[in-house]
Amino acid sequence: MNWDTELDQWRGAWQSESAVPADLRRRVARQARFLRIMLAGDILVTVVIGGGTLLLAARQPRPEMLVLAAATWLFVAIAWAFRLTVNRGLWTTPALDTAAYVDLLVRHARAKIAATVFGACLFAAEIAFCLVWIYRETSPGRPLARWLLFSSPFIDLVWVGSALFLGFLIWYRRRQRAELIWLLQFLQE
Amino acid sequence: METDAAFADMKLAPLDRATLEHEFDRLLAENGPGVARLAASFTNTASDRDDLLQEIAMAVWRALPGFRGDCSARTFLYRIAHNRAIAFLARHRGRFAAAGGEIDAPDPAPDPESGLARAQSAERLRRAVHRLPMLYRQVITLTLEGLGYSEIAEVLGISETNVGARLSRARQLLRESLENRK
Repeated sequence: MNWDTELDQWRGAWQSESAVPADLRRRVARQARFLRIMLAGDILVTVVIGGGTLLLAARQPRPEMLVLAAATWLFVAIAWAFRLTVNRGLWTTPALDTAAYVDLLVRHARAKIAATVFGACLFAAEIAFCLVWIYRETSPGRPLARWLLFSSPFIDLVWVGSALFLGFLIWYRRRQRAELIWLLQFLQE
Repeated sequence: METDAAFADMKLAPLDRATLEHEFDRLLAENGPGVARLAASFTNTASDRDDLLQEIAMAVWRALPGFRGDCSARTFLYRIAHNRAIAFLARHRGRFAAAGGEIDAPDPAPDPESGLARAQSAERLRRAVHRLPMLYRQVITLTLEGLGYSEIAEVLGISETNVGARLSRARQLLRESLENRK
């Protein structure tokens, strides 16, 4: 190959803008923003809910309040452990090329799919604990099954909210699976 | 170049802040992609590249009032960028030494039928440049950005003869690296 032709080819490749498609760069930037927002949300929940139950337990040091605070912090710890584990290596690309960007987005999508399953399980455990705790606090003498079904607008709201949240998780999981399929197809094109 | 003409005028009168900002924006707008590629060739991750780019921009902003037009604006910018990159590497040498100075992602095999083939070709070149020893990486990155011997000599503070010798060796190493990875 001619000396200067070779250099021109290298220069063309070097200066090409196609190294990482703009759409992928935007998606990675969006995921980084998403991670920051989720982290801020987790910190807020930890401070407000965790701090709130501790405050309640300090003001009313009854066994029930201590159980509530302990359970809340257990849930918070489990959520943080999952978040830190699943978010490891998702903050930035290990390299500045298309393969690394797609790989990062694939790992993001898989982490989010795992998070929907984890979120549903943790939410079910939290709701179960909270309902039992509220039942024991407010209506210990009533039959549990009747209390759980349409005994008060608050309980109705809990069920409606739970159904909406689970519906959201199912929709979100489908969306992330579609994203994952798109990314895997992008790799094969 | 329009920027060089503007910088030639800068010798005549001290710059007010508005002019300085205008020239700063123009300098980075005209050379931004090239400086970003130079920063990428010295770093392994997007966040490191962005950090280095920010340092370069700040250094250019600080140095701009003292620029007297004794070289081209592009040479002025690349000299600062290059110096900041070396300082950045020195400051983070533990991290880059641990990574062996190489990008640690898998090297994607080229597929002629793939829509990514062209991008992968450019990526292979970037990886090969990244693997070169610093002495040669400096010269080849500036050459690939389109700087001439005299400009590279000014940026690196070496003679043009030395630039030619280093570039010749850099090209040989780059060619071997690209052929070995085919």
